[in-house]
Order: sequence, then structure tokens, then C-alpha cells
Amino acid sequence: MVALHWLAAALILAGLLFFVAGTVGLLRLPDALSRLHALTKADNLGLFLVALGLLVANPEPFFALKLLLIWLLVMAAAATGAHLIAKRAVRGDGEDAP
Amino acid sequence: MSSPPSSVDRDGTQGRSPVLAALSVSVLTVLFAGLWLTLVGPTDPGSWIIGVPAVIAAVWARQRLAPAPGRGLSLLGALRFLPVFLIESFKGGIDVARRVLGTRLRVEPGLLTYRLSLDSRAARVFFVDLVSLLPGTLSADLQGDTLVVHALDCRVDAAPELLRLERHVARVFRERLPEQGAPTP
Repeated sequence: MVALHWLAAALILAGLLFFVAGTVGLLRLPDALSRLHALTKADNLGLFLVALGLLVANPEPFFALKLLLIWLLVMAAAATGAHLIAKRAVRGDGEDAP
Repeated sequence: MSSPPSSVDRDGTQGRSPVLAALSVSVLTVLFAGLWLTLVGPTDPGSWIIGVPAVIAAVWARQRLAPAPGRGLSLLGALRFLPVFLIESFKGGIDVARRVLGTRLRVEPGLLTYRLSLDSRAARVFFVDLVSLLPGTLSADLQGDTLVVHALDCRVDAAPELLRLERHVARVFRERLPEQGAPTP
């Protein structure tokens, strides 16, 4: 039981590190397109690890289904949103158009 | 916007009998209501103040945007792809984290184009989203069959990875890709 709690804590902490990495990327990367990389990929992995940690801490089928749904919906939203922002940036016809 | 290939029917509900359409609306409503209930839990009836409009909007959007009926999905293809997706997600997240957390940023951003061979709209949307979730690549624009991909490090050739990914997606959506799916030079 205690070991499981440590595992859950480790997974959630690892997930948070990826969220930090995503945020650092957002601040450090040079242009809009590169920043989207950090947001989609680091945050996707971060969310996966946090969700996995929460599942280990509270292993119930209904809760697992809920976490799975959240993970899938956030991924779909992140990837689609990133594509739409990138499209505007590549075509140069968004609000930031020079 | 990209023009859909002629083989793809824009309006998925066309040609269906009214009974079938009505049935699918009620089935969809039950499905989306179940989705909402799973997300917010059954203990808070007040959540339906937001839930009911959300479910109605979801059913409407799904009816408007329903993809043309395709060849269906391959469970085996999906099961074979799942571990690949998880491993690549890990690689993607770790790759970005390592590039941005170092003292020097290790990026060489650039654009490349990739010729899509996937046919159905559903498979294309799935592929476009996947490209952004997997290591080093971000799908930036889709014009006709040409996918503009942004690479975080354009010194690495992304085309073989994209081809491998497209083959996986084709298997999930039961599509056949041309044998030599040559990426655009």
C-alpha cells in the first residue's frame, strides 16, 4: 500500500516536471510554431503521467474511465488547437500577421 | 480550406432513412449524456445546467461534421498501434523537454512537406493530430494532399517516421496505401 502511494507520487511528480518543461519551452522557444511543439508533446506526456499516478492512487474502474476520457479529450483538443494555430501562423493570416 | 477528394461524401447523413437518422440522434444523445456523466459524476444534478447545452451542441456538431461512412475501424490495427503511440508519446515529450531544458536551446526549426496517401477524412484528421503529438513534428497546414509539417529540428529527416505513422493509421482505418508511398522531395 505504501509502495503504491510512493509510485503514485513519483508518477505525478514526473508528470508535473513535463508540464514545467512545456512551460519553459513556451517561454524559451523562438517562434509560435516551435512553442506549439512544447505545448502539445510535453503536456501530453505530463498529463498521461499525472493521470496514471492518480489511477495508481485510486484504482477504481469508473475513475479509470474518467481519467482515460480526460486524457483522450485533452489530447484531441491540444493537437487540433495546435494545428489550427499553426495553420494561421504558416499562412500568416491570423491576428499576428505582420 | 482543402477541397475534399470526390470519393468522400461531405454530408454523412445523406441518403439515410429518417428513421435511421432519428435513431442515431437519440443514440448519440444517450452516448454524449453518458460521456458527460462520466466526466462530472452522478452526484451533482446541478451540472446539467451546463451538461444539457453541451450534449445538444455535441449532437448537433457530430451530425453536421459526421464523416462519410468508411470501411470501419480495425481493432487489430488499433491494438497494434497503441503501444507504438505510447512509446512515441514518451519519446516526443522527453525530446522536447531535453531540447528546452538545456543551457543552450537545441532547435533548428524548419518546414517540410509531406504527400498524404490516406483517403478518408477521418483517417486524415487522425493522422494530422497524431503528427503533432509524436516526436519532433507538428502538422502546420493541410492543402489538398500536401501536409506542411513543422519540424523542431529539421536536420533530422522526418519523412521515414511520417511514412511509418501513416502506414499504422492506414491499418487502423482499413485503408490500402500505394506500395511506394513516396514523400515529396
